[in-house]
Amino acid sequence: MDNIYYSHEATVSNIKEETPTIKTYRIKLNKKMSFKAGQFMQLSVPGVGEAPFTPSSSPGDVNEMEITIMKTGRITDVLHEDIKVGDKLGLRGPFGKGYPLDKFSGKEILIIGGGVGLAPLRSLIYALFDRIEKIKKIYICYGAKSPIDQCFKDEYEKWENREKVSVNLTIDKPHREWKDKVGLVTCLLEKNYLDKIGVDIKNSYAVSCGPEVMLKFVTFKLLESGFKPEQIYLSMNRRMSCGVGKCARCNIGPYYLCKDGPDMCYADIKDYPDVFCQ
Amino acid sequence: MSDSRLKNLMDILLTYGRVFASTEAEVASNRNPEARIFIKEIRKDTLADYRVPGFRAFDNFKSFVLPVRFKVADYQDENWSNIEDTDKKKVLVGLKACDIASFPILDKVFLEDNDFVDPFYKKRRESLILVTSDCTYCCDSCFCNLMGYSPYPEKGFDINLSEIKGGYLIESGSEVGSGILEELSLPEAKENQIKEKNKTREKVVGELEKQNSIFKKAFSECHRLASEAFDSDAGWDIGSTCVSCSACTNVCPVCYCFTLFDREGVKAEKYNRFMVWDSCQFKGFSQMAGGMNPRFSHIAQFKNRYYHKFFRFYEKFGVYKCTGCGRCIENCLGDIDMREVIAGAYPVKEK
Repeated sequence: MDNIYYSHEATVSNIKEETPTIKTYRIKLNKKMSFKAGQFMQLSVPGVGEAPFTPSSSPGDVNEMEITIMKTGRITDVLHEDIKVGDKLGLRGPFGKGYPLDKFSGKEILIIGGGVGLAPLRSLIYALFDRIEKIKKIYICYGAKSPIDQCFKDEYEKWENREKVSVNLTIDKPHREWKDKVGLVTCLLEKNYLDKIGVDIKNSYAVSCGPEVMLKFVTFKLLESGFKPEQIYLSMNRRMSCGVGKCARCNIGPYYLCKDGPDMCYADIKDYPDVFCQ
Repeated sequence: MSDSRLKNLMDILLTYGRVFASTEAEVASNRNPEARIFIKEIRKDTLADYRVPGFRAFDNFKSFVLPVRFKVADYQDENWSNIEDTDKKKVLVGLKACDIASFPILDKVFLEDNDFVDPFYKKRRESLILVTSDCTYCCDSCFCNLMGYSPYPEKGFDINLSEIKGGYLIESGSEVGSGILEELSLPEAKENQIKEKNKTREKVVGELEKQNSIFKKAFSECHRLASEAFDSDAGWDIGSTCVSCSACTNVCPVCYCFTLFDREGVKAEKYNRFMVWDSCQFKGFSQMAGGMNPRFSHIAQFKNRYYHKFFRFYEKFGVYKCTGCGRCIENCLGDIDMREVIAGAYPVKEK
């Protein structure tokens, strides 16, 4: 019988600095693993511990995956400071259900990211690019603190130049190098702005990932702009330990985010306590 | 079976493997009468004076399937396995109905989940021989009748012992149990003995009904009310004396929340992963890197335990995650009574 707590060995093959606090690790897998966009992995630093991360690369690649990590806690501190190219890491997974890509067929997809929350969405973006003929249009809305804090900077232009894709960026505070929109990411979700860029609200799904406080206000703003709870998907990447629906710390209502999520439809969870962090 | 034959039974059980039994301590604790029955290993030399207590043990039996801390991986060593030491059978003696009821509940999480079966739990669970016994009295904290259980085991055991005057009635509940019974070659129980057994059972049921009668109504509809009571903090004031010590989750026979932690192994380049008991009553239980916590307030942590037991688990598996053993009531530093919490929290919403 498989040991569900065992991490498979993987090697760091490249590290790219996205921002001063965010790095993308390219990881070579010794054992082939395929994941669906939105599913997460338990990444362990040998001897330090493990933490859940959603890969940010295209789900098609079974030999390598990219994981984008912000320096913010015990394990990510070690990752940022000590892990170099060639070092060994452990991987367990993939876990969760991932985004319901079949549901997205024939719809317009509004992707709302905040900060490092664009990482799981990037994986979704590439998954959608792979099936672009089935998707009506993709709107990418991304908010970061400042131009320096934007991750995947060099890819926005490539995305924008594709057919059926629109990229909308904003930063929280004015910055001398920034000519685009200023304000929290919710300013891209005002009804009149959505109308301006041409979102067909009735025929679309919104997918969001970011800090929990952002998810909360994104959800409220989307509802205000005319989205129904059934049309909103949230990536609730909370603290998880086992990843297999046993240790009982990541739950909302009767759902285990690690098994039933981490990408939850807002309609399913809205009536339960602890939906958003306080 | 007379008292002296209990020794024969224990002798036979010892041939199966190590025997752990709930044992009445010689010196009664001066604190309360409930805290003098503990689980102890029975060896050849201590077996002569063993008696099966009439009440549940102070500590619980879940540590035989989920030890407080054990190694689950030795990475990077894929062939490593830690399950050989649990190959041998273990015999647990003196479990009460509330103890035996905990195994089907834990099985739902660790065994019956089709996607992920815990191999360690499976092995340990299969290696157990369970010898249960009837309760001959109950204590203030007992409420198994409210959770739909009886103070005597009905299923799930290999052997059940019912205390009667001068000995025990013995009943087998599995093939292993029947085998042991054959070895003992005991006479059939007499009619008056069965009557005596039933009388004791009725007596304990009666005591339980009496002491828990005021909570009966709240418990009969706790699932319906559970989904409503968690929306507001009103009615949860009773939790204000909780000090987040996690005693309730540690003594609970069905609280299984755990965490995985890694550390460097003894051998170079080897790292060990341990599974340790955790508790939803700790602040760091759901806290994420960066400090965000979906259950930040003290009352949210306190409510979560009830929410999980009476709502979340019921929604998912169709049973309450509580056997009514009352250990959490007995051990609470803040004198919080689970029954009062449920009776107190729900009527608020009933209006």
